[in-house]
Amino acid sequence: MSERMYKVQIPIYLTALLGILMIVEHFFPMPVVVTGFNTTIRSFVTVVSAAALMLGVCFLTISHVRTISQQKSQWYYSIFFIISLAITTGLGLMSVRNESFLWIYSNMTASIGAALYSLTAFYITSAAYRVFRARNWSAGVLLFTAFVVLMMLIPIGAIIFPPVVTIGEWLRSFPSSAGFRGMIMGTSLGVMGLTVRVFSGRQKEHLGLREERTGDQ
Amino acid sequence: MPKLRRFQAIDAIEEIIGRCVEMGAPAWYLMDTVNMTSPSVLAPTVAAFQILAYTARTAARLGAKFFVPVTQGLAYSIANDIVEEAYRAEGVIEDFDPLGTVVYLPDGSDRMYIINNMWSQKVAGVFFLGSWYHKAVIFTENAARVGALTLGGTDTTHNIPFLVAICDYSIIGEELYALGAFVSEDPTQTASLAGQDIGKYIALALILVGSLLATFGIDISGVFLW
Repeated sequence: MSERMYKVQIPIYLTALLGILMIVEHFFPMPVVVTGFNTTIRSFVTVVSAAALMLGVCFLTISHVRTISQQKSQWYYSIFFIISLAITTGLGLMSVRNESFLWIYSNMTASIGAALYSLTAFYITSAAYRVFRARNWSAGVLLFTAFVVLMMLIPIGAIIFPPVVTIGEWLRSFPSSAGFRGMIMGTSLGVMGLTVRVFSGRQKEHLGLREERTGDQ
Repeated sequence: MPKLRRFQAIDAIEEIIGRCVEMGAPAWYLMDTVNMTSPSVLAPTVAAFQILAYTARTAARLGAKFFVPVTQGLAYSIANDIVEEAYRAEGVIEDFDPLGTVVYLPDGSDRMYIINNMWSQKVAGVFFLGSWYHKAVIFTENAARVGALTLGGTDTTHNIPFLVAICDYSIIGEELYALGAFVSEDPTQTASLAGQDIGKYIALALILVGSLLATFGIDISGVFLW
């Protein structure tokens, strides 16, 4: 089998065949054979994802080992990574319901994640400052509408200027919704276009290939 | 071949990579959520992969240090293959570091790693493409503070405003899907973009008809109940 056959043609045929089966199942009632086959394929995805995850973890570990052995900048953090990986993997392999494993998740992973998520609030504040500067006419409109909507949302806004609630609701219900719906329709059509291009094998960069155009194309 | 306006983002990709080469600083390509088992994330992720192929090849050609952190195993394997193929296609496979160009970062730990390294490496150019959620604000704001030139694009409607506002260049909604077809210069792919526009006209016509029917109180929903 040529390299092109297994690296390009077979993945494209499989993508098209399985993709069409999934789409057809979504829109039309299908025999149990087809729905059962689709369920099996979906479970394959989980298995392949897990295998790919292992690959990623292996390469990451090798990368950290290399960082330590070459004593690159901040190499000591790599030691923490390897120790953490060893402890968590060891406990997880014993049992994912292991008390120590669950303690690490609840008291370290989850809480660190929540703390990092809370950073968003501070960055939104500085991002808002960057955005809401009336540099030109469009930015001025953005500044005005954002001010109205913010005033609508905070309790004191309605006390200072009661009509701000009506105006803010109107802005959110009509111009904002209309804009977003138009964008969603365009995006949906974009997804459909991408699907057709991928299924027909015209667009195959996701396979790691970017073939040069030939003169007759 | 239909006539298409040139995407500003195409020139932006060259400009950002070129700036990184001039400054001797790395160019980063971030995709945020790449959970390929989720249908709503799969489409923008595949679109981001299409643009990654072009960007990686541009980076390989111009000799930029390219870095792609990915937070999901399956997407990591694909991104790694795309970037490696790009370097091979440009004849500079020796510049591709299998352990350092595309890196798997477990989801959750990626935030501090990216913020910290953006500052320590003084990153000069960052691409934010794909399915972006709350990290859009954190990463773009940091990139802006570091002084990196940025290109952002997502189809996640509630995060489009942040990417548009903070990034130097932006791709809005469906442009994310069109860009991969545009850079291919393949007439069939380009024609599919024209097809999308026809789809938009049909949608507009249907909205108009629906609005008129609703205004006059005509209910035709029974026609569609088989």
